[in-house]
Amino acid sequence: MIRVYTSSVIDASAEKVWEVVRDFNKLPAWHPLIVESRIENGHMPDKVGCVRAFRLRDGGFIREQLLSLSDYDFQCIYSILESPMPLTHYIATLKFTPVTDGERTFAEWSAEFDCDPAREQELARHIGQGVFQVGFDALKQRFARR
Amino acid sequence: MQRVVRSAIIDAPIERLWDVLRDFNSHAEWHPAIAESQIEGNEPSDRVGCVRNFSLRDGSRIREQLLSLSDREHRFTYCILAADVPLERYVASVHLKPVTDGDRTFWHWESTFRTPPGRERELISLVGVDVYEAGIEGLRKLLTA
Repeated sequence: MIRVYTSSVIDASAEKVWEVVRDFNKLPAWHPLIVESRIENGHMPDKVGCVRAFRLRDGGFIREQLLSLSDYDFQCIYSILESPMPLTHYIATLKFTPVTDGERTFAEWSAEFDCDPAREQELARHIGQGVFQVGFDALKQRFARR
Repeated sequence: MQRVVRSAIIDAPIERLWDVLRDFNSHAEWHPAIAESQIEGNEPSDRVGCVRNFSLRDGSRIREQLLSLSDREHRFTYCILAADVPLERYVASVHLKPVTDGDRTFWHWESTFRTPPGRERELISLVGVDVYEAGIEGLRKLLTA
């Protein structure tokens, strides 16, 4: 089992950040790598158990299932059902915690998965830096104080 | 039950903060409100169950016991055993997490406690502002000077 952990600080309240990211179908609205998304079977995007099917900018197709959603903890947990990445048992957690010193948010995005040991490093870097950090960079930029 | 939470981003790697904070007796070195502190019975300050006995600059005394210490999670919890100030059933925890984007540290400090009726606001402010905010600033200054 590999664990990837990426964390950052966003210059806005956790409530404001959560407004943007809580919608499980709205990745294209804030994550630069994702171009289109839909929720399967016409479910609501905050129905725990719903599945989002989305496309990456590079054409890759991914399906992910919402396992847990907490408006109290500003946290969302999901698994990958289908993706071009050579990994299994992928579960990720996205969580936002208020920083009381200044109106900021501590953002954490972590994942656990299994894969061929020869590809661990490459996949961990791709997910931690290429996906999670890129998402946080976009949020940092969106909320940057001028 | 009252709950007080304070958190901050410190511009130093988590290992540097944890080096200081895991020493249950170190607060005399970085917290501006604390005059002197010692661990009772000459015990090591990372022994779970040890008691720190300290005085504040205003002269009041407090005894606090270490309930848990985790080098893996960078977390410790402690409670008040006896204090001149009426904080009842006070249990606090300090939890550090790394900010991987920039090698900084997220510091979370929280507690729950009861207060005598009528003194809620005063004691919530004492804990949140005079203890937590002042403490975070004190250690921030020490580490980033």
